[in-house]
Amino acid sequence: MAAHNLEIRRSSASLWGGATGMRQLPVVSKFIDTTTCIGCKACEVACQEWNDLGPVSTRQTGTYQTMPELDPEFWNLIRFNEQEFDGGVVWLMRKDQCMHCEDPGCLAACPAPGAIVQYENGIVDVNPEACIGCGFCATGCPFDVPKFHAKTGKMAKCTLCVDRVESGLEPACIKACPTGCLQFGTKDDMVAMGHARVEQLKANGFANAVLYDPPGVGGTGVVTVLGHGDHLEWYGLPRDPRVPLGVRFWKSVLRPLGVVAIFGAVVGAIGHFMYQGPKEPPQTGGEPTGGEPPRTPRP
Amino acid sequence: MSATASRPPADSAILRARRSEDVVVGDEIVRHRLATRAIHWTVALFFFLALFSGLPIWTPVFGWMAHLFGGLNVCRWLHPWAGLAFFVSMLVMFVHWLGEMRLEPNDREWLRPRKMIEYMRYQGEDPDVGKYNGGQKLFFFAAALGALGLLLSGVVVWFPLEFPRIVRELAILIHDVTFILFVVAVVFHIYLGTAAEPGTFHSMIRGTVRKPWARLHHPRWYREVLGGKTRRP
Repeated sequence: MAAHNLEIRRSSASLWGGATGMRQLPVVSKFIDTTTCIGCKACEVACQEWNDLGPVSTRQTGTYQTMPELDPEFWNLIRFNEQEFDGGVVWLMRKDQCMHCEDPGCLAACPAPGAIVQYENGIVDVNPEACIGCGFCATGCPFDVPKFHAKTGKMAKCTLCVDRVESGLEPACIKACPTGCLQFGTKDDMVAMGHARVEQLKANGFANAVLYDPPGVGGTGVVTVLGHGDHLEWYGLPRDPRVPLGVRFWKSVLRPLGVVAIFGAVVGAIGHFMYQGPKEPPQTGGEPTGGEPPRTPRP
Repeated sequence: MSATASRPPADSAILRARRSEDVVVGDEIVRHRLATRAIHWTVALFFFLALFSGLPIWTPVFGWMAHLFGGLNVCRWLHPWAGLAFFVSMLVMFVHWLGEMRLEPNDREWLRPRKMIEYMRYQGEDPDVGKYNGGQKLFFFAAALGALGLLLSGVVVWFPLEFPRIVRELAILIHDVTFILFVVAVVFHIYLGTAAEPGTFHSMIRGTVRKPWARLHHPRWYREVLGGKTRRP
């Protein structure tokens, strides 16, 4: 989904010159309050409709979850989990989709110029025409979000409805939410709303309530209020997501070193030839007779 | 030095001799028979096909190479297959050359960097160098090992969604390190085989070397061939 009215802040596999932004746009964010989500899945349907996806068959695994994982044609999934807590049972529902990281691991890992871009407003998007479907972004993503679409040979994920957002509309999932547990606005506003809600929860018996906005990836474009912040695994969220060390090391150490090594080898060979010259048999004619190797002139 | 000037006339006995290895033909010695050369160049072809289709995926510095094949999408498809063909041809070459590449006691010297520097300074001539010197043998085994490493890590990178995350990350790093070392080694391999040691390239094209070349670079092999102790692999 290429947005043509949005300036680009970062572009994959672009050494420099990836940014086109003349104007600074406020960074946008989704707000998800898992404590008021009723699991109605209106957001799932709205996502499918707006993005012309699916229909995708549901795959039941014994819970209310539509399918076990995100799918190349299913970008918005309510994860359902049942946990024993405080002598009773809690139902946990978390809306899972691309987190639109401030420091996107997918973008860092992507080898195709411009296949993954981050717009000035923070939205991270896949450009199908530039994507080569190598799947490196899936290795770079700490949330395991990008999925390979076998039919197109491209990677697919939530676009944060960039085509709606650039026209001043809220994402389809937000629009469809009946309880108001999904909100959309500037990152600053959403974080403020999140902290206010966390305080409210803490005052009402959820001592471990947190706002999930992991700093390891520079924060995310989706901030999530969790009632049980001490049990991130209940929600299927990583504790300290980061761009994988291997991807970082590969891109920022190995790659520049390798380029220098390869060009260095060529320069070294040329230098050797200029300094030392070729190793040739003596030019005196005649049939050599002895077994001793002839001496070579040295500089 | 090109041996074109002293090319022998088309004599059936000479043509037959050129099909075997380590035999004297006129002023020249047959070093690589046709099969050897064909195998070597097949490996080289697939190596460069894989290299030039892989480099643009590796870094945008070499992004222009993608245009040689019709774009990055073609590279993404071509690179793994070219790599697979490279490995298979390397396997054939490994079996073909293994007998001649057995390491001898004096080849161990080459494991020391000082020996390599001496060699590049044309010092420390060893009269006991056979058909291949220690450096060539080490390159042979290193290339075979590198090809195996590239294959194993390459398969993971080829089908990333089939492997766990940590394996994928490791595979990318192994693929990267191996190919960088491989390319640096190949740059020197090409340099030594062409500009640095005239006559060597001819041996891989027409198969023959001139006697002075053989006496300079591979004195023991030279003595063996002239002494009639021809080995046929």
